[in-house]
Amino acid sequence: MSVLLELRQLAVSFATDDGTVRAVDGIDLSLERGRTLGLVGESGCGKSVTSLAVMGLLPPENSMVKGEVRFEGRDLLTLGADTLRDMRGARLAMIFQEPMTSLNPAYTVGDQIIEAIQRHQGLSAADARARAIEMLRTVRISSPEKRIDDYPHKLSGGMRQRAMIAMALACGPELLIADEPTTALDVTIQAQILDLMRGLRRDTGTAIILITHDLGVVAEMADDVAVMYAGQIVERAPVRALFARPEHPYTVGLLGSIPRLDEKRERLPSIEGRVPDMSRPPDGCRFAARCPFVELACRAETPPLVEVAPGHLTRCRRAPLAQVLP
Amino acid sequence: MSALLEVAGLAKHFPVRRGAFGLVSGHVRAVDGVDFELRAGETLAIVGESGCGKSTVGRLVLRLIEPSAGQVRFEGEDLLALSDGAMRARRQRMQVIFQDPYASLNPRMTVGAMLGEPLMLHGLAKNEAARKARVGELLDLVGLRPDHARRYPHEFSGGQRQRLAIARALAVEPKLIVADEPVSALDVSIQAQVINLMRSLQQRFGLAYIFISHDLAVVKHIADRIAVMYLGKIVETATTDELFRNPRHPYTRALLAAVPLPDPTAARERTLLEGDIPSAMNPPSGCRFHTRCTFAREACKRDEPALADDGQAHATACPYWPEFPPPAVLAEAANRDADRIRLTRLQAAFVNNQQREAS
Ligand SMILES: Nc1ncnc2c1ncn2[C@@H]1O[C@H](COP(=O)(O)OP(=O)(O)OP(=O)(O)O)[C@@H](O)[C@H]1O
Ligand SMILES: Nc1ncnc2c1ncn2[C@@H]1O[C@H](COP(=O)(O)OP(=O)(O)OP(=O)(O)O)[C@@H](O)[C@H]1O
Ligand SMILES: [Mg+2]
Ligand SMILES: [Mg+2]
Repeated sequence: MSVLLELRQLAVSFATDDGTVRAVDGIDLSLERGRTLGLVGESGCGKSVTSLAVMGLLPPENSMVKGEVRFEGRDLLTLGADTLRDMRGARLAMIFQEPMTSLNPAYTVGDQIIEAIQRHQGLSAADARARAIEMLRTVRISSPEKRIDDYPHKLSGGMRQRAMIAMALACGPELLIADEPTTALDVTIQAQILDLMRGLRRDTGTAIILITHDLGVVAEMADDVAVMYAGQIVERAPVRALFARPEHPYTVGLLGSIPRLDEKRERLPSIEGRVPDMSRPPDGCRFAARCPFVELACRAETPPLVEVAPGHLTRCRRAPLAQVLP
Repeated sequence: MSALLEVAGLAKHFPVRRGAFGLVSGHVRAVDGVDFELRAGETLAIVGESGCGKSTVGRLVLRLIEPSAGQVRFEGEDLLALSDGAMRARRQRMQVIFQDPYASLNPRMTVGAMLGEPLMLHGLAKNEAARKARVGELLDLVGLRPDHARRYPHEFSGGQRQRLAIARALAVEPKLIVADEPVSALDVSIQAQVINLMRSLQQRFGLAYIFISHDLAVVKHIADRIAVMYLGKIVETATTDELFRNPRHPYTRALLAAVPLPDPTAARERTLLEGDIPSAMNPPSGCRFHTRCTFAREACKRDEPALADDGQAHATACPYWPEFPPPAVLAEAANRDADRIRLTRLQAAFVNNQQREAS
């Protein structure tokens, strides 16, 4: 398997009125071709910022990026704006929770997909239109010949999401970043979209970074999972290992706190406390203030991400966690 | 048996206006003939997809909007017959919590003023000292500190703001709380806190909840009974355990099958529902679900099925359910293998240590 994307010590900070917010703080990550990586963690932990950094879409006014974003060995952070724009859409694409952030309400769905195809593939207008109709069919929009001339607001939420996916995939990107692609949708529509993404992945071999707060979606879709907490990756493992043998206390708490259809408990365990303020991150382990297994040493220095089993990494001094059991 | 709340034939048709003169061009049949009962201290969950009419039912029950038809009886009294003034007095017994804790709290009021206002309004605090004491008590009840009374809503996290909304609802000692997606905007770890809080307050004060949610897993943990809605109608209702064990209506079954399980080893039956939800302006004839139903037959396009009770408090708006193949049973997660045992022990240790630290 060859590595498609590699993040090395990726760090993003924002200048704000409250000082510098270190939103992403030293991420190392690699993704092989055709694989799906689930990126999870609670609100504000830096999932979207990480993906915007990969896409080169952070607001230039107040953001600062450090580290490397290697795509097929080339560091995207060193590329000029034009080169990056050409790669975006053609080789890397992104879809969002709210389709209207990438669909322009003033143009028909077709115009937007055709524009993307023409820009990156140099097809004639007629060929690009045929290809756009083909894409809409692929994402299972019925009567695509008619729908292609609709404006986005005429489509239902599920259909808009499909149109956005069609646009993102029109040029056959090698990497697709999907940021909460189904969070705003109903479960039956979500099931359709996930099914669609599975099919596309199988047919095209696109690698996917799937950002979601829904661990059910991760379990269904991902090959590997990275759990983020306060700007850092705290655990990374193949999906089965992560759910069966979590090795970071935050992951243990997270898995415990989800209400499940296949279980009924009297009380749902919760993770007390709240995430640290990222303009003043604490010394040592970021989770220490909420961790029930904390020791004095945890607060002294940031623990490194260490491998506890093949392909299974955790940022916890106390791992393997079997040793914290009474 | 005495019901706290009885709802019969409840309907709300919103007029849709078009053009410069605002002519009524049709109606959105948001709620179209809904019946249910709620006992004191009980939780009824209303579930269903976006636009099926859940929030509208909640608003109708509280008479925040007037129904097009039907009855709402609260503690035996017909709410729709009450004058505005009398209704205002009843509101003390019926409170509401919304999804968005950001929008529902007045940003310019301190927490103390916000919680104190209804106390004064309903004469629940005789003087300043009593008011202050009660505000402190309310904050304590929802797991916040009495000195938080001096703060403003923006100084709290999402979960804390939802606690504030709950405290405000509790201030007037209601019998019924309509909670419209109260945890949908919260992170899972915080969701659990709020669900636990709502459950313990219910036991303590004998509260009844109408818990509106699109999340079946959340509902499983809080509801005694569930009503599943589709396009303005209840299609199935049963106790929570029964509904999850024996879902009968094809829509309920599809809904359950669509929920992703947080278990990568689970093998799921995948019958995807095709198509989108039809418009409530122009709902399908006969059974409203027939356009998406895998079991639909000719008669379904014509005959509107009644919500028929089986005599055991399980009612289904589909006469054909006994003929369907049994639904895939959701195996309760097995407790045997070594990983499972380790994880269960870790989670127990997580909670125990957490509690020890807190006390
Ligand atoms: N443009 C910006 N300026 C300042 N701070 C920002 C900006 N964008 C993001 N942040 C901050 O960076 C942190 C990480 O945000 P990010 O959007 O990546 O979170 P997330 O993990 O995607 O959360 P969610 O699950 O809520 O989408 C947050 O504290 C956020 O407030
Ligand atoms: N004031 C209104 N005027 C016109 N139509 C309305 C009004 N309020 C709601 N509706 C319509 O009534 C239907 C039911 O809406 P409701 O908000 O009750 O759905 P819901 O089940 O709560 O959905 P969600 O899960 O999205 O909150 C929808 O089609 C909605 O567009
Ligand atoms: Mg995000
Ligand atoms: Mg609603």
